[in-house]
Amino acid sequence: MLLEREITSWKRHKAGFVVEDVSTIIKESVEATIGGNAYQHNRVNQWTTSIVEQCLSQLSKLGKPFKYIITCVIMQKNGAGMQTASTCFWDNSTDGSCTVRWENKFVYCIVSVFGLAI
Amino acid sequence: MSDKEKQQRKEKRVVKVPSNGRGKDTTGRTKDSISTVSYIDELGHHDDNARLAPTMENTYQMGPYKRFPAKAATDILKDVLTSYLQEEKYEVEWSQKMTKTLCEVIRARMKELMIPRYKIVILVHIGQLTGQSMQISSRCLWDASNDTFASYSFKNSSLFGLATVYAVYFE
Repeated sequence: MLLEREITSWKRHKAGFVVEDVSTIIKESVEATIGGNAYQHNRVNQWTTSIVEQCLSQLSKLGKPFKYIITCVIMQKNGAGMQTASTCFWDNSTDGSCTVRWENKFVYCIVSVFGLAI
Repeated sequence: MSDKEKQQRKEKRVVKVPSNGRGKDTTGRTKDSISTVSYIDELGHHDDNARLAPTMENTYQMGPYKRFPAKAATDILKDVLTSYLQEEKYEVEWSQKMTKTLCEVIRARMKELMIPRYKIVILVHIGQLTGQSMQISSRCLWDASNDTFASYSFKNSSLFGLATVYAVYFE
């Protein structure tokens, strides 16, 4: 009886991590913060903070039962190479991640969002 | 249950490479910027039933019995990064494999710590040092009393390596 009630309450929640919503939020936030700007050393700290905080506030407005981890890397275009990898130990059916790689003429920006169900 | 997990993990690995390709969609060019999205696509993803979390009974547990040791995690990261990256030069294919290897190694070491009810997310960045500047930052929306992170960065003459572990308590 208890299990039935738990099952119906889960069905009402839109369970699972929805990638499309998250990636839209990320793209809008990066576009709004960096736009067409070049890499400016004194501004970049502000940019990363604002991108991450904007994403986080939009994601929390979605109202889903998730904990979020958001990472942002901003790198100057210099011909240098960089590799990034991530691995997770979690529950595949409920948790998910989304990575958006954004670039303009001067700057690379990589934002990763991990959503872990409570 | 462990067989099912292994099978799921195997399915994910097989699908992972092409589905990243499938998942990638280049979206519109606004001004001069391009963006790409990539995510892991599970095989059972479109089936709603597979998405529902398995129902669990109440444990009546108020918090974790054993907290995630951030200090021990930092030592592990320092150990792994120094031993794998000391005296190495940055090369594209080598570093592609090395980031994935480092991820797997760090995940195995974290699992050895045997902290129950904690989900782990590990990020590894390896980059070439050519005088460019970069900024990496992260923010988390979580329960600050139970969840924590650890990170360590390593540098030698031609490359830098950064590893970060996030540990999130599963209530």
